Amino acid sequence: MTSAQSTSLLHFSGHQHLRTRLVLSILSGKAVKIDKIRSDDQNPGLRDYEVSLLRLLERVTNGTIIEISVTGTAVLLRPGVIAGGPVTHECPLSRSVGYFLEPVIMLAPFSKKPLQLTLRGITTDDKDLSVDLIRTVTLPHLQLFGISDGLELRIKKRGSPPLGGGEVQFLCPIVKQVKTLNFVDRGKIKRIRGISHAVRVNPQFSNRMIEAARSVLNRYIPDIYLYSDVYKGEDSGKSPGYALSLLAESTTGAMHCAEATSQPGVAPEDTALLAARALLAEVRRGGCVDRAHQVLVLLFMVLGSEDVGRCRIGVPTERTIQLLRDVKEYFGTTFKIAPADSSDGAEQELLFSCYGTGYVNTNRTLA
Amino acid sequence: MDEQTHKAHRAAHSGVKAEKKGKSKDKQRGFNEKAFAPKSGRNADRQGRRNVERDQTRLHVPLVNRTPDDQPPPTIVAIVGPPGVGKTTLLKSLVRRHTKQTLNHVQGPVTVVSGKKKRITFIECNNDLNSMIDIGKIADLVLLMIDGSYGFEMETFEFLNILQSHGFPKVIGVLTHLDLIKKAATLRATKKALKKRFWTEIYQGAKLFYLSGVLNGRYPDTEILNLSRFISVMKFRPLIFRNAHPYMLADRIEDLTPREKVRESDGKCDRTVTVYGYLRGTNLRLGTRVHIPGVGDLNMKSITLLGDPCPLPDADSEKRRKLSEKKKLLVHAPMSDVGGVMYDRDAVYINVPGSFTRGNAGAPQGEGEKMVMDLQDVRDTLDDAVARSQIKLFGSSSQPLTVEARSSQSPDNQTDHEDGDSDDSHGEDDFDEDTKDMDEFDSDLPSDEDELSSDGFDDEDEDVDTEGPSDRGRSFVRNVRRSLKSLSTNHRERSEVDYAESDSDLGHDDEDLENHVGRRVLFDDEEQVSLQSDDDYALSSGEEEADDIPKWKQNMSTKAREAFRHPVRDVRRRDWTRLIYLTSMSPAQILRGDSPFTAEEHNEIGSHDDENFLTVVSSAAQVEEVLDSTKEVVKAGEMKVWESEELLDSIRGLFITDASHDVGSSEAVDGTNPDSDVGTTSADGDTEGAPGNPEVARAAALAAKKEALKRKFDEQYDDPEGSKLDFYEEQKEQITRQLELNRAEFADIDPERRAFVEGFRPGSYVRIELMEAPCEMVEHFNPSYPIVVGGLLASEERFGFVQVRIKRHRWYTKTLKTNDPLIFSLGWRRFQSIPIYSLDDHSIRMRMLKYTPEHMHCYATFYGPVSLPNTGFCAFNTLSGDVAGFRVSATGVVLDIDRSAKIVKKLKLTGVPYKVFKNTAFIKDMFSSALEVAKFEGANIRTVSGIRGQVKKALSKPDGAFRATFEDKILMSDIVFLRAWYSIQPRKFYNPVTSLLLSHKTEWKGMRLTGRVRRDEGIKTPSNVNSTYKPIQRPERRFNSLKVPKKLQAVLPYASKPKNTRAQQRQTYLQKRAVVLEPEEKRAIALLQQARALRKDQVARRKEKREERRVAHRQKVQKEEAKKTEKDKEKRKEYMRVAGIKAKRDDAEDSGRALKRKRT
Repeated sequence: MTSAQSTSLLHFSGHQHLRTRLVLSILSGKAVKIDKIRSDDQNPGLRDYEVSLLRLLERVTNGTIIEISVTGTAVLLRPGVIAGGPVTHECPLSRSVGYFLEPVIMLAPFSKKPLQLTLRGITTDDKDLSVDLIRTVTLPHLQLFGISDGLELRIKKRGSPPLGGGEVQFLCPIVKQVKTLNFVDRGKIKRIRGISHAVRVNPQFSNRMIEAARSVLNRYIPDIYLYSDVYKGEDSGKSPGYALSLLAESTTGAMHCAEATSQPGVAPEDTALLAARALLAEVRRGGCVDRAHQVLVLLFMVLGSEDVGRCRIGVPTERTIQLLRDVKEYFGTTFKIAPADSSDGAEQELLFSCYGTGYVNTNRTLA
Repeated sequence: MDEQTHKAHRAAHSGVKAEKKGKSKDKQRGFNEKAFAPKSGRNADRQGRRNVERDQTRLHVPLVNRTPDDQPPPTIVAIVGPPGVGKTTLLKSLVRRHTKQTLNHVQGPVTVVSGKKKRITFIECNNDLNSMIDIGKIADLVLLMIDGSYGFEMETFEFLNILQSHGFPKVIGVLTHLDLIKKAATLRATKKALKKRFWTEIYQGAKLFYLSGVLNGRYPDTEILNLSRFISVMKFRPLIFRNAHPYMLADRIEDLTPREKVRESDGKCDRTVTVYGYLRGTNLRLGTRVHIPGVGDLNMKSITLLGDPCPLPDADSEKRRKLSEKKKLLVHAPMSDVGGVMYDRDAVYINVPGSFTRGNAGAPQGEGEKMVMDLQDVRDTLDDAVARSQIKLFGSSSQPLTVEARSSQSPDNQTDHEDGDSDDSHGEDDFDEDTKDMDEFDSDLPSDEDELSSDGFDDEDEDVDTEGPSDRGRSFVRNVRRSLKSLSTNHRERSEVDYAESDSDLGHDDEDLENHVGRRVLFDDEEQVSLQSDDDYALSSGEEEADDIPKWKQNMSTKAREAFRHPVRDVRRRDWTRLIYLTSMSPAQILRGDSPFTAEEHNEIGSHDDENFLTVVSSAAQVEEVLDSTKEVVKAGEMKVWESEELLDSIRGLFITDASHDVGSSEAVDGTNPDSDVGTTSADGDTEGAPGNPEVARAAALAAKKEALKRKFDEQYDDPEGSKLDFYEEQKEQITRQLELNRAEFADIDPERRAFVEGFRPGSYVRIELMEAPCEMVEHFNPSYPIVVGGLLASEERFGFVQVRIKRHRWYTKTLKTNDPLIFSLGWRRFQSIPIYSLDDHSIRMRMLKYTPEHMHCYATFYGPVSLPNTGFCAFNTLSGDVAGFRVSATGVVLDIDRSAKIVKKLKLTGVPYKVFKNTAFIKDMFSSALEVAKFEGANIRTVSGIRGQVKKALSKPDGAFRATFEDKILMSDIVFLRAWYSIQPRKFYNPVTSLLLSHKTEWKGMRLTGRVRRDEGIKTPSNVNSTYKPIQRPERRFNSLKVPKKLQAVLPYASKPKNTRAQQRQTYLQKRAVVLEPEEKRAIALLQQARALRKDQVARRKEKREERRVAHRQKVQKEEAKKTEKDKEKRKEYMRVAGIKAKRDDAEDSGRALKRKRT
């Protein structure tokens, strides 16, 4: 009677969608137990990067209790409050910085103090969003929800796999409540931007990539600006590598992005072509939000004030579908998913609308 | 007909009328601008400023009002006041005013219709502080009743303070018992005094009503009419807390626990309870938790939308209303005795006036009487009735269900059925949906997505009928989907499809009628085709084999093959909501486009494999692990397709440079996109119009173009000042726009799914089923205590350390002490917790305070449920009614939520030197071990005399001694101390006030103070010997005299030389001489002495006289006093007699109140 009542505990199994489940747990305050993590695998249990992520989450929050079973196949998380403040974290070399940044981006606006997170490790790899895309695409998505002042990702050093050595600093302001999104017009693409970077290789590589990408994209629009970003010396990390990140922005601010990273035995031109074509494929899928950011946008729509938020999205990804289900578990919110009312029959776009939960940043200190 | 001519009116030119007219004409000139024009520019400026400032004071921060306009919930009007003030009388009067019915026994909320678009829920608040808190949190309007003949009472002020801390709802004061004041002048003075006090409490000019006296057990009708008019025109500003939480005032409660379970557990098992009421605040969603103040946090099992028991009049009902029915206006008060029926928690009482016999047909039959009549009509026993009964699935079914129904199926059907049964979700469950309107099927449309039929919605069971095709109104067993093969072999079987958009109209087979209307068919390859069919295929039932092949089936297989070849899956046709939320398919399966059936079969197979755990699962598939990554791997192979020019050109339309595409859609964007270039987009033609009628398309394009141009023109040339809104207007505009969107977005989907997506909207009458409610809630239910169901936000279910800004109430007589339990009313909850008070010490640390400061805010930190920062609260030391003083002990606001508290208290460690060197000293008795010293190395220390120093290093010899250095040499007698800060955490104590669970609601007992416990238990306070006060004995300190060597003295300058002069030993000149008076002097002194003696005597005599007079006066006064007391006694007697009668009158009220009556 006198002690805390145990709040509801949610159960999930499998290693998939671990990040979103942890983030949702911390945001909603509901404890979560995830079991059967690779229980059938030859190498069962949590991977090093997942453990590292749990560490990071523990550091960003205050009062979080994380229990990992002996075999590592089950995790119990009792979330605390999101504290923010200066945090430094070394990321393992098995995943890039993007893997860690994505969940933190979802949490950071709701912390007690503005977050200043320094992450060290690989900045660009072929598994996760590179820091360039996070800086140029993910963060502008937060602006849709009214999180803008002081939002910044500084790329101090670049680090390519396998040895990494990069460093980024993520600064995020806190908000009281996110704005309700109403984004139903995708507009037309008005500009294409890109960043091609090369570290510890011939800086000419980056220019070659730009040339190649332009050869594909020039036919559509003249407003293409691809930056060549070469880091030298200490700032260029420990391993050689190059990559091209592209983003297409529409008249209404809808953004689609794609990128390709250096592969052994692939010419930079081919990498660039791959990136450009991936961008076109992404553009063709439609929606106001590209596939990599569906999860982020839908989550923030759920967290919006108690109004109807709408967003037009292409075909949802597996992650998105799982997010929708998980959100229902955590917040009890469901989306209305209707085909977007477009006269064009071929379009595969869907209109997601939901009634926000009225999530208010309870961690924020008054006065 | 001719026009009638009248004599023209001639105005009077003389006389009184003319004079009057002339005067009024002068007056009615109207507004003379010159008269009010400022004479100087400076004045004009000042006036302008003042006007602007006055305008600004009018503005309030725009708040979103989440209460819907069309069907708002009834406003809650709470009637609050001390016992015996006339609350029930007022409630009855108001109810009678609105419904023309008299309630005898009013309990719980009473809802009435008060206008075209307005309903009111009246609720009477009893004198319990718990009830006052709960009522204060939900009332929209408070009728604060004050006994005019008595004045304000403590409860009134307490209630006002509660209101203040939980968002101030509107308050109307009502003065009663004014008829008891006989003298007009006294009446006037009382009214004035009470009004003044009331205004200082609420605001200057707050409305105060006077009710004169009681007539026929009611207040005078005119006064009630006036009051009700005031209530009905009242406007309510949304209160922030209520605008962010769903809540409900339960007007009825029912226990749904199986009787057997209750019996087995001796009534002690947790109960399943349903509460009924109107939703208020925001949307209530299933899956969130609710808090019932006085009970605790509960989980909702289900929410069911019920028909409104007290609906607003609409055009239809108004038409049907008869004059005779005017008497019976709607009133909804389930806990009271409306119409002779009263609902208790487990019974319905029917009150029949007079004698009641069956034959008396002429007697008025109310609802309750009819019920009793029906019960009396029963002829057979229940057993007979069961034996004879036939189960019809639906009211419209022509045949009852029989057991043989199953065996009559064709074997083919049966096997199919068994296949279909593998998924339990669409087995017989589908049968329990009732079909009310069969006509619906005739008018079916092919892709009618909405299931607007009201069935299922009224259904009690929560099963959303989205699982599987619902074959409604069918009296034989259902058929299951067929494969492509069976279609091609012309089986006349229903092929079932599992897409929700078609499930409402699909698969309705009746005995004699079967409509196949534009249904989609599922094939083995999970492709779907829309098939068009004519309505007039009235097909016979599924059993008989039809030989004639319908037209639509003739080239089925070819169509199917075509459909299969179609490259693009029709994504838009799928019901994503259902696929995602209501099936157990994995995301990959959904994206692959599996149907739920096949997917579940897959799952089933998978689960079988799991059971068969001996088989070795080959891990070859798991070598390539699926990573949890946002970026999808771009495969070079997949991107090869982009080499084709055709594909590259196909997305040209998505770019701004595209000239061949209609850009109407981008133009249609409302103001959100100001920078979209209209010029470039307006130049193109139309490709989308139907090729059949180019004229129409062209006209449409032209119209669109014109529209765009007009808008552009308007933007450029319309008055920019006029259209530009100021910030305030802009915000308001934005809020209305969002509300409009909220309303429109879900308006077109069926109510069930709407509730699924949106939750239950405020204003709807719902039934909430609560799980695991404590049995006492039902056992000790008392309708006069309100049951408030408050929805909790996700964060409010958690616990943590809550930091608040708190101020002790000025009227609370004691100070509050750290670590004394306090009862908080915060958010929906009432709970006891243990706060620690603190103050911010130079922004460096939070320093604990032992007591709350006087007239000042301080911080308090306690362990409790999280609530949003900026939520107000009030605190009490006790909630019981037998406390004389003011009970609200503190008020404040939540500042911060955390999992740890950073409060420190000062800790002084003292030590004494045992060896003093020059600036160094060895200190002992401060620490007990070298380890402790090591921890404090470098810490600042100080002596009492103010010499500062530092801890250096531990010494080996006495344990805990250390070497310290100081800025000067310290004395052996000095005490050295180290100032440290010790961090403390509030105790994790949370004790909800479960007042509703008690049989005597007012007797809740929380944690008591130690002293209180000792007093109650009769335990002596243990005394520590060291804590007793003893007379302080300070040994006389002796200081050695300062000796300055002679040599040194000699060289010192004079100012520094010690000047110890010896006392004079010789007698002085004066001492040596004797003084003798001269005779002259002697005489003078004698004279003075005599004069003094005379004077003294005179004064003494005067004093004596005065005393005599005084005694006489005192006697006189005493006499008068005695007379007065006599009179007073008489008066008192009279008053007590009246009071006694009054007390007898409302004996039903609780007894403890008499103590509380205190004039303020």
